[in-house]
Amino acid sequence: MATIGIWIETEGGKVKETNFGVITAARGGSGENTLLALLLDGSAEAAKEALAPYGVHKIVPLRAEGADLDQSPDARARTLAAAVEKLSLNALLGLATTPGRDLFARLAAYLKLPLASDCVAVDVARQTVCKSHFSGKTVATIQMKAPVMLCALRPNAVEAQQSPTSPEIAPLTVTVQDPARVRVLEVKKAPGGKIDLAEANIIITGGRPIGSAENYKILEACAQALGAAVGASRAAVDAGFAPHSMQVGQTGKTVSPKLYIGCGLSGSVQHFAGMKTSKVIVAINIDKDAPIFEKCDYGIIGDLFEVVPMLTEALK
Amino acid sequence: MDSYLVVKSILMLVALSAAFSVFFIRVRRLFRLMRSVQGKLPFTLDRVKERLMVLLTDVVGQSNVRRKALPGVAHTLILFGFLAVQPHSLELMLKGVCPAFDPAKWIPAVYGGYLFVADILAALVLVGFAYAIYRRVVERPKYLTLGTDANLIILFTCGIIVTFQFINAFQALLPVHGAAFDYRGAFPVSGLWIGLLGLGRLGAGQIAAGYEIAYWLHMAIILGFLVYIPGSKHLHLLAAAPNVFLKPLQREKAMPKTDIENESAVTFGLGKVSELNWKNVLNLYACTECGRCEEQCPAAQTGKPLSPKNVIHDFKLDLLAQADAILAQKSDAVEPIVREASPITADVIWSCTTCRACEDICPVNIEQLDFILETRKHQVLMQASFPPEMQATFTNLENQANPWGFSADTRADWSKGMNVPLMCDHPEAEILYFVGCAGAFDDRGKKIAQSMARVLQRAGVDFAILGPEEACNGDMARRAGNEYLAQMLIKQNVEVLNQYKPKKILTGCPHCFNIIKNEYPQFGAAYPVVHHSELLHSLFRQGRLKSVQWMKGVGGNGPAVEAMAFHDSCYLGRWNGIYDAPRDLLRAAGSGIRLTELRRHGEKGFCCGAGGGRMFMEEAIGKRINIERAEEVIASGAAMVAAACPFCATMLSDGLRDCQSAVSVKDIAEIVDEATA
Repeated sequence: MATIGIWIETEGGKVKETNFGVITAARGGSGENTLLALLLDGSAEAAKEALAPYGVHKIVPLRAEGADLDQSPDARARTLAAAVEKLSLNALLGLATTPGRDLFARLAAYLKLPLASDCVAVDVARQTVCKSHFSGKTVATIQMKAPVMLCALRPNAVEAQQSPTSPEIAPLTVTVQDPARVRVLEVKKAPGGKIDLAEANIIITGGRPIGSAENYKILEACAQALGAAVGASRAAVDAGFAPHSMQVGQTGKTVSPKLYIGCGLSGSVQHFAGMKTSKVIVAINIDKDAPIFEKCDYGIIGDLFEVVPMLTEALK
Repeated sequence: MDSYLVVKSILMLVALSAAFSVFFIRVRRLFRLMRSVQGKLPFTLDRVKERLMVLLTDVVGQSNVRRKALPGVAHTLILFGFLAVQPHSLELMLKGVCPAFDPAKWIPAVYGGYLFVADILAALVLVGFAYAIYRRVVERPKYLTLGTDANLIILFTCGIIVTFQFINAFQALLPVHGAAFDYRGAFPVSGLWIGLLGLGRLGAGQIAAGYEIAYWLHMAIILGFLVYIPGSKHLHLLAAAPNVFLKPLQREKAMPKTDIENESAVTFGLGKVSELNWKNVLNLYACTECGRCEEQCPAAQTGKPLSPKNVIHDFKLDLLAQADAILAQKSDAVEPIVREASPITADVIWSCTTCRACEDICPVNIEQLDFILETRKHQVLMQASFPPEMQATFTNLENQANPWGFSADTRADWSKGMNVPLMCDHPEAEILYFVGCAGAFDDRGKKIAQSMARVLQRAGVDFAILGPEEACNGDMARRAGNEYLAQMLIKQNVEVLNQYKPKKILTGCPHCFNIIKNEYPQFGAAYPVVHHSELLHSLFRQGRLKSVQWMKGVGGNGPAVEAMAFHDSCYLGRWNGIYDAPRDLLRAAGSGIRLTELRRHGEKGFCCGAGGGRMFMEEAIGKRINIERAEEVIASGAAMVAAACPFCATMLSDGLRDCQSAVSVKDIAEIVDEATA
């Protein structure tokens, strides 16, 4: 019977979906652990609504006296560190996203605790984590020895399972000293997909036949209906239709979504190398001989300018 | 007059000692600098006879310079004319110091003959320079450095020649003492000045004065030039011939093997100019910035910041700027090559496709790649600095031994259902077919490999593949500076090869071919290696393959194509000198088809843009090299372009697609497969 804190990452005030998998991982097999959702930002009510189906027992909005949590990464880490002690947590879990890696590293330093980051599985009862090595060829199981286990999980590594609860909201205010070494002045979003490609569950990608930057709207509309991120092939990026931040492939981003929809992709090895670990690949191409059809799970022979809008319409 | 001769003698003695001392000190410093650098390269003088022949053809015969016709002829005229006046100048120097020195009296026939020839050759220097000036003023080719240095040298040399002619003209007018040599008629060209300027009307005193003025001007310019040479790009005059004499005698070359297991090594690759080797330094001295390398360089020609000429020039400037520290053996005080405000930037060294066009065209055999690739090596191994998109490729090579990260155990999957044996099942095979990553994993490459296998089976060749035992050959990692990773891959392959000891290795990729042939011996695996262009051609010659009416259009197996072009792969052509085999093969296979040439072909073939790891890097600066090449393919009017490298095939296909061209791209193996089916 352990008390486990879960740092809930938000984006634009909303709880990220990838948190749910962390909750499932924290619950463990027996389900007797007490799960506390720790919030550094965002609304507690909204978090309660989002997290209740996944089984947290308490929503703990953290408030810091003497520091601005929105502007100081150090203050966030110290607040969380104070919460770990006040709530007598046995473990603190979170996401190994860019903000997560930053936060947990600071936290581990302040608490003088070991940290396991980018884990693909965690067992709090045994204090073990699993990490993937050599591009997923091997998985290492690591035994941790620590009074409080700190573990950041790779997004989407553990599939979320529902286990509804009705959590109470129990705010906690701590006093922290902000060393004020770093100050976040502004957060700028990279142009491109609304959803981060690397974290997306579904990706819809356009190749060179898309023809212009303007035409990516067709894919964006479909992406919105699907909750997908939009990617581009190198040829499309080279042609100036999309920014490099959207490029999927050998020299762009490596992605492994659950569903990958390639529109007008030839299926070159350079592109395939960046998305070959996708769980389901759907290809839309007008050329029935395109190599992509040899690699996809489902193929649609047709003009993407006809097929994609139809798909969008059907989804709506 | 006698007192003048005494003063002249003293003045000449002082001037000569001063100029020659300065010259000697400056050259000695350069020589010491060449010997103070720390790069290890033993000096061995092998194959001296061949090297003397090289001097005869390349230096005396000017064969390399004349690969560019007009500038080559101009250079030849300037060189020989300039050399021709040197004995005369030397004579004047000695005569100035010691008036009794008079070869005209001692060997009049030889002397007269010499003067006659020298006078003509000297005049031809002016013809050469007339073209040089025309080129610099009117033609102004982009690759040529138009600077004060070059202009000064033209001025110096022209000054030497013109004063030479005036000395001669006045000499012919000077009174002849006794039975001394008669100079009249000795100067077919300089003599023309006499009539042209009416010098004959001058009095005896004026003629003597004119002679002395010309003499002193001549000496001043020659001695000035002598002092100027070692600090200018015309150090070329001294270093070019030795550099050519010591050039590598064979075309094939291996990248130097870095002992990465040497635990006492403080640095790898080329981080500072103090780490150059003596040969590199001689290379730097020999460069005269003719720019021919820049003209050939695919990076320079498509707007990248790399120019091989500038790399050499910048290395030379850096070396000379840091010479004090190097001579004092204070290597800690030497600044790194890639540093703030250095002209050699990351973009410069990473733009290189290692196509070797620069080395091939260089008239004085400078090896530009040695500088670029060793600098890359240092950047990767010591600074962990390389284009970020290479990270994934390096990781994939490390984990799966192929650049795309496909599971290494699926390497033989391309041959499923084709009855291609593995070496482990058939170790006695006549030929080990080293498929390479493209042939094994890339859909385009797989088709080529399948064609290759079908053709071999058709010809009854006993072959086997390594399958999962094969790893990437290491070429890409090595040329991308990751020597550590390259050696890991090479050693993996060497171990497997040495276990089978193959009778012959066949490759379908020039990169596999080059490294296995030329660099694997560094790691203890030396086996006969053959590229598929050569093997397929020999199968035709032996009658084991026969073309079946391919390319006849109607009724034939192949497409109705009128003209086909062959795109030279750099690693087949410039790196290994194989130009004819693929062309002969295409003629043998495609009966009735016209083989046309792309504008840049053979030794001047233009890279596809994929070499040196560039296949796996972004090409964000300037025009894309493969588009430039695709445009050339389209301009050739060929309906099909044949490649002998899977990476060339991909780059050309992509480029042609971007140009919305219908020209098809096929590997020679695919063509042979269709032609013999």
